[in-house]
Amino acid sequence: MIRLIWAKEVRAELYTWRSALWLLLASLIFSFTSYLLLTNKELTLLDQTELLWLLGKIIVGTALLMVTIDASSILTSEFEHHTAESLFIAPIRLRDLVIGKFLASLTLWGALYVVAVPYMIVAAAGTRLAPAFLGYVALLGTLGVAAMVLLALGIAFLFRSSKNALTTTLVVLLGLTVPALFTSALKSGFVARVFERINPVDSIFAALDNVLVDYQLSPLQNGRFLLPLAGFLVAAFAFAVFAARRFERQGIVRSAS
Amino acid sequence: MTQRLVILWAVLLAASASCVAAASAGAPLVLGIASAQTLNGVAGDYVTVAARIENTSDQAVSDVTTYLSLVNTADKLPVDLEDWSAEKGLYVGVIEPSQALPLDWRIHFVKPGRFALTVVALVAGREMPTVSPVVYFQVEPRNSLDPGHILPVALGMPVVLGLLLLLLNYRRRTRP
Repeated sequence: MIRLIWAKEVRAELYTWRSALWLLLASLIFSFTSYLLLTNKELTLLDQTELLWLLGKIIVGTALLMVTIDASSILTSEFEHHTAESLFIAPIRLRDLVIGKFLASLTLWGALYVVAVPYMIVAAAGTRLAPAFLGYVALLGTLGVAAMVLLALGIAFLFRSSKNALTTTLVVLLGLTVPALFTSALKSGFVARVFERINPVDSIFAALDNVLVDYQLSPLQNGRFLLPLAGFLVAAFAFAVFAARRFERQGIVRSAS
Repeated sequence: MTQRLVILWAVLLAASASCVAAASAGAPLVLGIASAQTLNGVAGDYVTVAARIENTSDQAVSDVTTYLSLVNTADKLPVDLEDWSAEKGLYVGVIEPSQALPLDWRIHFVKPGRFALTVVALVAGREMPTVSPVVYFQVEPRNSLDPGHILPVALGMPVVLGLLLLLLNYRRRTRP
């Protein structure tokens, strides 16, 4: 059942040219970034490793934004298209439905990653960082995207409206991303330092910096960044489980389990 | 008698004129460049221009300020030093008789081109500044990324994806 739901969602997301247009837009963003890295006078002063770091941040940031927007509506669209009733009276367990939609959203991240791979390979040409660059963007992006998708699904269960779910999830994403873009001078206070340590987006950017600029390639050397990210994933999972159970308790849908 | 008075007047006039000229002329300072007269590098590099200021007189010179002047020799325009040097000027203060002081300036090659740098010393009350010999910069462009690798992907990927989407659309339309 999970596979059927996943396949249905992925077909809906990638089968028509309109629904897959976002992949082309993501590719244009990566192309524009690469063009800037080549031609912008300020950016060309940076070392190649710092350019890789910048490109990695753009790839993961784009993925977080696009997949979060998608995940915010992947569940609520069932309510708004009036397909929820027929879906929930079918012998489908809520758990299977959530897992299917979660995997469909992760597949979008996979598609985006595949589009980004050529950019990463050519940008890393001449360095020995290509495998680490590809590996860490995959690892950090998957952890971050999975957590944001779970958060978005949980929020969707609470609100059941695309507009509210999307707005709330985007505000959360902005709240995590904007401080991560602050310069280190703005992160000097105690509260800012604590938030920096627990902010998953900060952890993603800092881990990429640690790997690409400081050559700290082993996962052990990046444990202090991976742990907050894993913690955020666990918290998002717990939130999604809580929201789904609350959704069931309210009696709008009865799980077959 | 009149002739003697005229001569005396002329001598006094000449003496006072030489005093005024001495006051308004440049200070007895010599600015030299210890580093190479031409510095080559790539945009983004840092170099150090080592200058030396010396008081050649037997009197102390006070209120000495030194600063940099950078000109783009291709554009024939002065360059804003904002990103080129963290220290645009340096207040030296007093230079004792026969004293020589080193002046090191760390320069960041911000953009490619040909540039000319001079170190200028100003002394309060003096009309003429002291200027060092010119140091020339030849800054080559820096290419951290290889355009030969990046451009085919940057231009090709959107085209390939666009064609795939068109093919997808065509297949959907023509399928029974």
